[in-house]
Amino acid sequence: MTSTDPIDRLRQALNSALRGKKQVIEFVLACLLARGHLLLEDLPGLGKTTLAKALATAVGGTFARVQCTPDLLPGDITGFSVFNQKTREFEFLRGPVFADVLLADEINRTTPRTQSALLEAMAERQVTVDNVRHQLANTFFVIATQNPVEHHGTYPLPEAQLDRFAMKLSVGYPQRDDEIRLLGAAIGHLPGDGQYPVVLQTGELGELQQRVALIAVEPNVRGYLVDLAHATRTHPKVTLGLSPRGLLIWQRVAQAWAFLAQRDFVTPDDIQAVAQPVLEVRLGLAPEANRSVIRELLESVPVPV
Amino acid sequence: MAPDVSRVVRGVTFALLAIAALAVEVAAADTRPVLHSFARAAVWVGVAGLLAWRLPVPAQPRQRPPWWVTGVVLTLALAPLAVEPFRRSHWSEGYPFELQMVMGLRNAGLALAACSGWLLCLRLACVTSLFLMLFAAAMTNHPASFILLGLYTACGGVWLMLVYWSGLQKVFAVPEREVAIEVQAGRIRPPWVSLMAVLIVSGSTLAVLAIGPRQLGVTFGELMPTSGGTGETDPFARYGIGDGPEEVAGDNAQAAGMVETDTMIEDNKNALIDAVSDMYGMPHKPPKHQDKMVAGGVTKVIENHGQLPENQRPSRDFDTSRQGRGPGRKPSSRLARGLFEIEGRTPLHIRQVVYTHYDAVRHEWIEARKPATSHLEPEGGDWMRLGHLRDADWYSENDRHRIKTAAMNTNWVPTPTLLTRFRIKKVDRPQYYEWDYEGVLALAGRRKTPPGIVITTECRTLEQSRLPPEAFPTPGFNPHLEEVPISIREEISHLARQWTGDHPRGWPQITAILNKLRSDYTLDRDIGAPPDHRAPVLWFLTESRRGPDYQFATAATFLLRSLGYPTRLCLGYYASPQAYDRETDHTPVRQSDLHFWPEVLLRDGHWLVVEPTPGYDTLPALQPLSERLWNLLIAIRDVALRHWAVITLITIAWGFALLYRRTLLDRLALWRWWLFPAATWQEQVRQAFRILELRARWAGRPRPIGRTVRAWLNHDFSSIEDCRRFAQLMEQASYAPRDASPGVQSPRDLCHSLLIHLTYSRIRSLPPPVVPKAPR
Repeated sequence: MTSTDPIDRLRQALNSALRGKKQVIEFVLACLLARGHLLLEDLPGLGKTTLAKALATAVGGTFARVQCTPDLLPGDITGFSVFNQKTREFEFLRGPVFADVLLADEINRTTPRTQSALLEAMAERQVTVDNVRHQLANTFFVIATQNPVEHHGTYPLPEAQLDRFAMKLSVGYPQRDDEIRLLGAAIGHLPGDGQYPVVLQTGELGELQQRVALIAVEPNVRGYLVDLAHATRTHPKVTLGLSPRGLLIWQRVAQAWAFLAQRDFVTPDDIQAVAQPVLEVRLGLAPEANRSVIRELLESVPVPV
Repeated sequence: MAPDVSRVVRGVTFALLAIAALAVEVAAADTRPVLHSFARAAVWVGVAGLLAWRLPVPAQPRQRPPWWVTGVVLTLALAPLAVEPFRRSHWSEGYPFELQMVMGLRNAGLALAACSGWLLCLRLACVTSLFLMLFAAAMTNHPASFILLGLYTACGGVWLMLVYWSGLQKVFAVPEREVAIEVQAGRIRPPWVSLMAVLIVSGSTLAVLAIGPRQLGVTFGELMPTSGGTGETDPFARYGIGDGPEEVAGDNAQAAGMVETDTMIEDNKNALIDAVSDMYGMPHKPPKHQDKMVAGGVTKVIENHGQLPENQRPSRDFDTSRQGRGPGRKPSSRLARGLFEIEGRTPLHIRQVVYTHYDAVRHEWIEARKPATSHLEPEGGDWMRLGHLRDADWYSENDRHRIKTAAMNTNWVPTPTLLTRFRIKKVDRPQYYEWDYEGVLALAGRRKTPPGIVITTECRTLEQSRLPPEAFPTPGFNPHLEEVPISIREEISHLARQWTGDHPRGWPQITAILNKLRSDYTLDRDIGAPPDHRAPVLWFLTESRRGPDYQFATAATFLLRSLGYPTRLCLGYYASPQAYDRETDHTPVRQSDLHFWPEVLLRDGHWLVVEPTPGYDTLPALQPLSERLWNLLIAIRDVALRHWAVITLITIAWGFALLYRRTLLDRLALWRWWLFPAATWQEQVRQAFRILELRARWAGRPRPIGRTVRAWLNHDFSSIEDCRRFAQLMEQASYAPRDASPGVQSPRDLCHSLLIHLTYSRIRSLPPPVVPKAPR
């Protein structure tokens, strides 16, 4: 059976940083292990940055944050070349995209041009500046946030970009007890004092992701996934069915979910468990219809036995 | 994905084709046993069923069927043609070419039904089944085909309902469930190119056949040897009326269907006198003055009719003093050729000669006179009504028969008694008919009734016991028909009074006479009265107490006449129910069915058949449906009362079986699982899960199709020990790689333990599960 120690430690670190959100943290872990990117759609102050920082520290990588505004340029994310007068050459100054964990805060506030700068980085883990290709870290992980309430001066993410995200999550307000504990923990500490523990050694995350990719998915389970994908494409309320890339991501996230459950094969339960966040980000659904439609899809497709 | 509604529609479509296949096989040879036909069809249905089981179901029903579907359909369609030579050589049976083609179409339909996952195949299969069913219905009137037609109609109704429902689901539910109906937004463009190609090819073929060399047409005709073609090449061609060379009734009367034709041909068959002599033996050597007496009879006939009709030749007067047939007749000799065939209820009396006068000196019955007027009134549709008969209220429903002539000797038209109207197609004027005797119809101006014509008749039926006394005329109404020879009058009257006793006038008196004759006298065709006896009928009544049917009829006639009932004697044919041919649905009437019976005149002018001869019956009244149902109920009650013990036992056994059917089936499934374990532990676990699913379905808690194994077991049966372990095991068996270990020491024991604990009754007793939350 797969060793779960690093995962448990990672889980523990994230739970300490973001209290009372075990389910969200499980999804974040699954997304991370599946080597996907995460879109957090929630109100400000709910711990998105905290979660991203804690995650970046825990996986032993660098963390970068980009506050997206309408005047943000692509070069502000990818980096740009400057002329070094000493060496008489252009030097490339790396942007925040070269961090291991990138938090793109309020991503829908920046222009589509800048949003698109992330496309190549998210999909291919590389950026091309001045015709020069720069490789990103293998474990490059984007956490983007957007505010679901305010729409003035925002640019909704295009479908092409949405499809690059593995899942969309909402952190949500914590429970009462968790908020009491949160307040208690803050007593005696000034803001910015907190240090998050490093859980994984360098390269350990990549090893875990490699192990996730080896989780078995039997033909009947793969058939079930494909049936579900077909169902999304023919549902009258779904304007944009699941793409093959989305299908691959779904399988990978289900593998990660099975890995987190310490299983070395995927079951239909895994697929159903991650269906909501995986489908929510890529099906052209009205927000209020999301849940019911996805439930309807899952209930209408026979589970293989 | 395979939507569930689609699966049901496919199943019903296959059922439609299966029914149509059975019907076509029955229609192809409706003379063979039905089970035989069913077995033949079942072979092809089974092959198609296997195909349906093995063939994949497409995820998108609307997509074009793959190329191999055409191969499957063609292979199955050509299979009957390939099998035919073996049938002919090994089993000495076969189908004509056109039926082989129909069987090919049937197989193509079955193959399409097996591939009905594709919408195109499903639609084609349905159209094919409809054609096959219509073909079968048009080909035969076999009872089995009617039952199949009813089944097909019911099944088709279900099919339409399902398709309509799936069409509604397109509006209200997910579109992948809609199956067969699709609304085309735009106008469909007809396949002009294909239509033109078909028209050009078929038109060219017809043109070549019409104007081309004769040999070409003949060659094509040979392909259809039994559809009016040459009929010479195929030994397995269908024969009978309307089929090939037997379009005109030929040698085989049994093969003749009821086809109306106006073909009139004549032949030289034996006369009735020969048949009577063959049946009852020759008369005793006539006394010397016989010539004179016979000549007088003929003279009288000529005086009355101007010329001697063919069927009233001398010697047709019936001699009651006969020597009997004597021994030595072989049973096979009774199987003479059929004269005509009857379609309809039997027993039926078909009169041919009527006798009203008895010559006491010669012991002969003299024929009745020919009626002066025809009394026929034409109705629409070639029908002729007998206009001179009065209405009466003692009759039941009218009955209809169809009689097809085969080998008639005279111009006689066989009709049942109590006739009200009749029809021969195209013979639509009263002057085309004449009455040989009162109630005996003939074709005017013809020497013989041609073979192959169909006479449709409508006659009254009645329950004789319900005849009121006023149905019979009072004594003296017709002295001519109440006459008893003086020489025997006293004895006859004495016997009649003795037998009738205190019975009131009317049917009770008549039935007393008939019952006495039927019970105390024996039918013996081979015995004859002594030549020197003064009255053969007295010899029969008082001495021998046995004799042929003419003695019964003569005795009954005299006895009834002595009581004042106008009675006459008839010679004709008795269509016996025992002769009914189940395969052709007809009752053939042969020369050996010659019979004598008396008839009593009723007030409305009809002649009522009374049957004194044991073993012969009259046509019962045609009861209305309500009465028949009532009688059926009475019969069922009687049977139930007779066999109450057995029926009670069987009912109790069935009741228990029905009551505990699920428990029984569950036990059987469990025993099978335990005694015949599957090869791998994964399959064993899966089988155990299927048993569990079956129990849950019976208990009204089926696993929803979108619910996973773990979610279902842990949610619905959370209180059951081992359920979580079994869910884990089941996941291992279904979703883990094949070579994975089960994770428990003995998967079979765990399954067995769960199956023992989670029984059908236990599942039923569990509290209803809480509605699960939406998956997140």
